[in-house]
Amino acid sequence: MSQSAFMLNNKISDVIKNINRVMVGKEEVAILSLVSLLAKGHVLLEDVPGVGKTMLVRTLAKSLNCEFKRIQFTPDLLPSDVTGVSIYNPKTTEFEFRPGPILGNIVLADEINRTSPKTQSSLLEGMEEASITVDGQSVPLKKPFFVMATQNPIEYEGTYPLPEAQLDRFLLKLKMGYPTYQEEMEMLDRTSGKHPIDTIDSVMTLEELAAVQEEVGEVYVDRTIQQYIVSLTSATREHEDVYLGVSPRGSMALMKAAKAYAYVYDRDYVVPDDVQYVADFVLAHRLILTSEANFEGVTPEDIVRQLVEATNVPVKRNVSE
Amino acid sequence: MKEKPSSLLLLFVYAGSFLLLLEWLWPLEILTNTERSGVFYLYAAFCFFLAFMQVYWYISIPLKLLGLLFILDGLFIGEQIFSESWWFVLYDQLSFNIEMIRTQEWWELTAFFRSLLFLVLLWLVSYLLHFWIVIAKKALFFIVLTFVYISVIDTFTPYDGEASIIRTFVIAAVVLGLLHLEREFGEQGEGKASRKRAAWSVLPLIGVILIAATGATVLPKFAPQWPDPVPYLQSATGGIGPGGSGNTIQKVGYGENDSRLGGSFVQDDTLVFQAIVRDRQYWRIESKNQYTGKGWEDTLEQPVTSTDPAAIDYSTVEEGVETETFRGFLNFTEEADFQKLVYPYGTTSIGNLDSAIDIALHPQTGEMETRADGDSVQPQRYSLNYDAPSFELNTLRETPVGGDPASIQEKYLQLPSSVTDRTRELAADITAEHDDRYDKAKAIESYFSGSGFQYSTTDVEVPEGDEDYVDQFLFETQKGYCDNFSTSMIVMLRAEEIPARWVKGFTGGEIKDTDAELFDETMNSYDVTSANAHSWVEVHFPEVGWVPFEPTQGFSNNADFYTELDTDSSDDGETEESPEVETPDEQEQGNPQQMEDQEEEAAAAGTGDGGDAGRIIGWSLLGLLLLLGVVLYVTRLRWLAWYYRKRFENKGDAASFQASYHHLLRVLNKKVQKRRGDETLRAYAKNIDQRFESRDMQRLTNQYERLVYRKEDHLQTKDVSELWENLIKKALS
Repeated sequence: MSQSAFMLNNKISDVIKNINRVMVGKEEVAILSLVSLLAKGHVLLEDVPGVGKTMLVRTLAKSLNCEFKRIQFTPDLLPSDVTGVSIYNPKTTEFEFRPGPILGNIVLADEINRTSPKTQSSLLEGMEEASITVDGQSVPLKKPFFVMATQNPIEYEGTYPLPEAQLDRFLLKLKMGYPTYQEEMEMLDRTSGKHPIDTIDSVMTLEELAAVQEEVGEVYVDRTIQQYIVSLTSATREHEDVYLGVSPRGSMALMKAAKAYAYVYDRDYVVPDDVQYVADFVLAHRLILTSEANFEGVTPEDIVRQLVEATNVPVKRNVSE
Repeated sequence: MKEKPSSLLLLFVYAGSFLLLLEWLWPLEILTNTERSGVFYLYAAFCFFLAFMQVYWYISIPLKLLGLLFILDGLFIGEQIFSESWWFVLYDQLSFNIEMIRTQEWWELTAFFRSLLFLVLLWLVSYLLHFWIVIAKKALFFIVLTFVYISVIDTFTPYDGEASIIRTFVIAAVVLGLLHLEREFGEQGEGKASRKRAAWSVLPLIGVILIAATGATVLPKFAPQWPDPVPYLQSATGGIGPGGSGNTIQKVGYGENDSRLGGSFVQDDTLVFQAIVRDRQYWRIESKNQYTGKGWEDTLEQPVTSTDPAAIDYSTVEEGVETETFRGFLNFTEEADFQKLVYPYGTTSIGNLDSAIDIALHPQTGEMETRADGDSVQPQRYSLNYDAPSFELNTLRETPVGGDPASIQEKYLQLPSSVTDRTRELAADITAEHDDRYDKAKAIESYFSGSGFQYSTTDVEVPEGDEDYVDQFLFETQKGYCDNFSTSMIVMLRAEEIPARWVKGFTGGEIKDTDAELFDETMNSYDVTSANAHSWVEVHFPEVGWVPFEPTQGFSNNADFYTELDTDSSDDGETEESPEVETPDEQEQGNPQQMEDQEEEAAAAGTGDGGDAGRIIGWSLLGLLLLLGVVLYVTRLRWLAWYYRKRFENKGDAASFQASYHHLLRVLNKKVQKRRGDETLRAYAKNIDQRFESRDMQRLTNQYERLVYRKEDHLQTKDVSELWENLIKKALS
């Protein structure tokens, strides 16, 4: 689904240019990550190591002048390693809070499925509540706060897959994929000298970013589009291969993502194309398929595609109002 | 006047199409009772003129409406135009006719209303031709239709289409030639040189047409290479069975003995008499009063009196009933052998009768025997004067049930014990919602046109044992001919205490000649055959007399009914004559036993008299309308495009843009590429633009998206209509 007919928003286009200077052929993932960031949502990246996840997030952070933190999840990681810990300071004779990596603007939670559910939930709580609780005290997180969690789909040994309820917390689930031959050659070229990430400058301040997030919230969603969204999500609940369909939270997520996507392409209203495009990334990880469907190799992405194809796009002005 | 004045060439073409339309109208005068057809031509011309001048619709529609009202005023309404009573008459007419349409009593539609419909039709046709010829620049279809129409009319009716065909040929050739020139030169810009060239090339065109037309007219022609289709169609549709004049099955015709009705019969088209009269009408012979459960008998004691042919002392109506005086002439063939006078309603005197012949009148039944020296003889010919009665509907409707003189009650309310309870219940059911005599009778009359009844002359049962003839027809067979229908109606009327009697005679026959000369007048000549033998119903109204009704399916009552519009005035000008009922599918049939009926071959064949011609024209108009419908449907994408463009230009609002955009989508869907339901407008627009190698659709769609998904009402009208027009043109080409 090419969107080349759309023009990028000016501010966004600068960010994307930066990313393109560092990454090769990752514009789509970059744009979607931005969509998630602008919609105040979080991204789950499912991919093998070494395809540039870290580099993407770092570039994003640097372009947006954000504080970048990284948590490498391991089986022995404790919740306090994520949230931070209060340490006794003998000088002041008081406990002092040492903030953990979650208190950054952009957090890369690497291999999130490798750690125990307890530690996972310390991160997920933060994503949901925009604050964490340390030693009984509530600590607000920074704004903007954007988590990009990754999980390796290949290794299952010694992992704790995220429960479905937790997956719902991520606005989008993305895949990076391997670069093409040409792209990989280009990548080698670029990194043979000075790494391009050191050459880029930030193009937006935190205040500007916050303002953009506000503007995204004001993008107009017509009733026809809302009806379209609801028909899509409610259709997931009736599909025969689906054990558990998309929750109303999914509908809201779809609308939020569509709004941010419209904004990225410099529109202050949502069109059905936006909804169709983001539907893949918003809905797929929210579906639980029946075991028969799993057995037959049907993927959630297939289901979403089927539903989009089966749902008529609204093309007339809503006259019931 | 609009941006693009039509060219001179188009004016000629358009005038030509008007002449073609006139070719459609000429036959009406000959084949129908249309009078003063001049005003219709004038109105058609008026509509054509307005359409050609491209007058704005808000001027032209009121103008056409005014013209229409003026014509109707001149033809039908006696009141001061636009006065209060004028509007009242108009309202009265419209409401009456709309009610008749609602109840599907088509034959009740008044001349006023039929004229109104006809004028509206002319209006529509003028518009349609303008679209075809001036806008679409296509005339072939209309021309072909015209030829078909003339050929059909010429083949099946007295109308002679020879001159018409030649005129049509010339006009058609000119129209097509000019249209071609218009297309050739009209598109090469407005250059004067090319216009001049066009003008010159008209000359050879006209030359060729003239030579061809003259040649075709003068040169000898073969006679038709195929047999006349009319007899074939008649035999194919007339149901003439292989039985011929069979022995077990009776032959249709007038008979004496009606005491046992029922059974099938075959058609017999032997000519009985020729009638030269102005209008088609029923021919009465006698009535019968007593229903026996199997048939009819005449049991009235009546002194047979000799009556003076110059002053017939018999009338079915009371004094005071509106009449109109006519004359007629009857000429009998050798086949006629009933030794009685055949006469129309209201006959006052008989002339030209063989002086040896006496008329013996049965005053109760109206039977007039012709005798010479005490023996019954069959007169060969006679003329008659008659005052054809017209019945005023309000008077009829004001007549309650009951209150008939005792003499009438005892003779015409008789019912035998064989009449079943269910017959009486049915009669009560049908008439329950009406109070007056006329509406009750009408309800029973129209009951037979539906309810599963079928007109048939074959496979008709004869009641056996103690079975009642009417009960059998109403509840068992529901299949029969005039005797079944008329007898059943009378029995039901009598069950409701309405006096009625059974009448025998002939229907009006088929028109043979439309300009028979008689008494220095131009009359119509009708052929009445054995198959025209018929029976019908007369209902008694105390102040009016006997009023004929026609329950038989496919037949129509030829009696004249009218409604007095202004009850304060007896001025004729203020009464509205309702037409004689000539339903399009009048199809007559008869009964077998004895006096019976006739079959007038099915609609297809009609060698028309007034009714046939009316029927043919009715069918042709219907066919034309159907064709118009088909053409409009086939070309809908184009004319709808034109319509939406105009609408958007005029309104320029969101709704009209949406309608236009969706019309474009329909056109693209049909002509270029189908849009899937899940395909967004943007994606579809991109596909379309790739096909057209432009970006118009995406630009237009962008505007449309803002309208739908952003609720934006402000449009860049000019851009939008330009883009839209480009796309529609590309899609349609």
